[in-house]
Amino acid sequence: MSDEVTTGRTDRPASVEPETDPQSAALGVENLTRTFGEVVAVDGASLALESGELRAVIGPNGAGKTTLFNCVMGTLDPTAGSVYLDGRDITDAPEQRRPHLGMARSFQSNQLFAEQTVFENVRLVVQTARRGAFSMDLFRSHYDVGRDRAAEIAETVGLGSQLESAAKNLPHGDQRRLGIAMALATDPEVLLLDEPTSGMSPGATTQTAQLIEDIRDDRGLTVVLVEHDMDVVLSVSDRISVLDRGRVIATGPPEEVQGDRTVQDAYLGGMREEL
Amino acid sequence: MSADSETPASRVPDTPSAFEQYRIPLGLVVLVLFLRPVVSSDLLLGFEAIANRMLIIMLFVAAFNLLFGFTGLLSFGHAMFFGFGVYVPAIVVLNGLGGLAPGGSVTFFAGVALALLSVGVFSYLLALLIVGKGEIYFALLTLAVSQAIYFIALRDPWGLTGGSNGLTRGTLPEFVEQTRGQITIQAFGASVDWYWVVAVVFLLAMSGLWQVVRSPFGRTLIAIRDNEQLARAMGIDTTRYKVWSLTFSGLLSAMAGVLLEINNSGAAIENLGVLTSGDTVLMAVLGGINYFFGPITGAFTWLFVEDFLTDFEVWHIPTTELAIVSVDLGPALQFWQFFLGALFVVVVLTSPEEGIWGYVRTLGAGVKRRLEER
Repeated sequence: MSDEVTTGRTDRPASVEPETDPQSAALGVENLTRTFGEVVAVDGASLALESGELRAVIGPNGAGKTTLFNCVMGTLDPTAGSVYLDGRDITDAPEQRRPHLGMARSFQSNQLFAEQTVFENVRLVVQTARRGAFSMDLFRSHYDVGRDRAAEIAETVGLGSQLESAAKNLPHGDQRRLGIAMALATDPEVLLLDEPTSGMSPGATTQTAQLIEDIRDDRGLTVVLVEHDMDVVLSVSDRISVLDRGRVIATGPPEEVQGDRTVQDAYLGGMREEL
Repeated sequence: MSADSETPASRVPDTPSAFEQYRIPLGLVVLVLFLRPVVSSDLLLGFEAIANRMLIIMLFVAAFNLLFGFTGLLSFGHAMFFGFGVYVPAIVVLNGLGGLAPGGSVTFFAGVALALLSVGVFSYLLALLIVGKGEIYFALLTLAVSQAIYFIALRDPWGLTGGSNGLTRGTLPEFVEQTRGQITIQAFGASVDWYWVVAVVFLLAMSGLWQVVRSPFGRTLIAIRDNEQLARAMGIDTTRYKVWSLTFSGLLSAMAGVLLEINNSGAAIENLGVLTSGDTVLMAVLGGINYFFGPITGAFTWLFVEDFLTDFEVWHIPTTELAIVSVDLGPALQFWQFFLGALFVVVVLTSPEEGIWGYVRTLGAGVKRRLEER
């Protein structure tokens, strides 16, 4: 991390990574590019996260945050570039392998097993984490697998009292938390959260920010947080990476990025006075 | 994990009671015990043989629903697996196999083994090819492959399948005895009613299916049905699960086919036809694809209505003690499919995934609540 911590506005150019080598980082992205036809959604982005770091990725709408996210998680194949997890090149690992390698995600929209109970949603992921991507586990009842652990994880995110509710009947904010619980149930080392507070009330947003910090502190996870809410970003993240038109234009501690002129021009725009 | 958490066991929801957990196999036993006496009563259909056919079709539709209702894959060609089960033992019994004489008991069981083996391999390989193609393509590809098999059987290759006539003579092993439409099985010097043989195979196969559904494997299938994208992101190899779901479904369908071969003493080309596949889809939807008993209910309703309406020609209305008005309903009831279709439309419009079994459950829950309130 940079020694220089600037608190006020500076006119110096954007601080661009790499501080560390992506290939040896806890989670590394190296020159990742993804195009859709003519459109370049992500353009040579590089990130290097230290173990235990909480990194926010911000950027204006259409900056390529979700595309980058999907490329890192294997939902999309990158056009060029590589993704490293703990020093291993996992660019070609299929999506369903990644939770077993130690990385998990939550979705921007609520993706749940909607008809099932909260408990079954989490239990199923615990089961998958224990038994692997495929298991011919035919001779037991599902009542014998992962119940204690599932209840424990649901409790961590504050859903302990709603275990028996159908996932589709939960309020929006609780559904988002259930998404986080399911990602945790894979027992990850790296957790990627795609706008975990979107659509939440201010109160629930604060709670969720606290939850994300707690999870990181208790489990020593490396967290990537794609987020719109600047309060959350500024309060929880160790470092912030700013994405603009598919490029990482700045990376640094919150105060530094906040004061960076390039960032303000590209992203914060009219909000400059406010900050 | 935070060290200050309470003992986790206290927060885990209770597992259902043994009765709750095993009510499906219990229900299957009750079904098998009561099906024949009830449908063959004079008030209903009045003949026993229909019960055999009902159990066989129930097994077939339930096997189909493992793929449709529990995995979310709609097959429009399930008759091919069923037809394999009908044709392979018939062909083997008729022609013999290797050193095994035609018509022998051992020959028959060799035929059954060959049928299951070939369906297993065939459905596994077919699944590898088509399972990843997306819902619509999956449905169309199953339809295309089953039609290809249908037309091959229709051409009577090497004189094996009998073409459009099917196979009707010499297709039963020696332990099957038929007298006036009643089938009995001669085994170890005893004579067993065919219904009980069907019932035992039905119970074994359905229990197997139930175990698949309740196992961790089966719960994964349900998760894939509910949200495939999420399942993959959570680390589930969705393709392999779907491949095995299709394989199990194919095997159980072939099991049902084997039973039908004895029941109908032979193979008919319709067993492989597109109508058989289509009826299966309709029966499952009619009964309710989300429930284990849904396909069973659907198959029962379908076959019951079909037989009831086709037999029900003259309606005798006693007006006074002496006079009886008889109304000939025959002309209207030859269109029994219209009435079944109307029932189907009502069910699909009101609750497409719940079906008739869904209504029964809702009704049952309501009655239970009323009783508890008292």
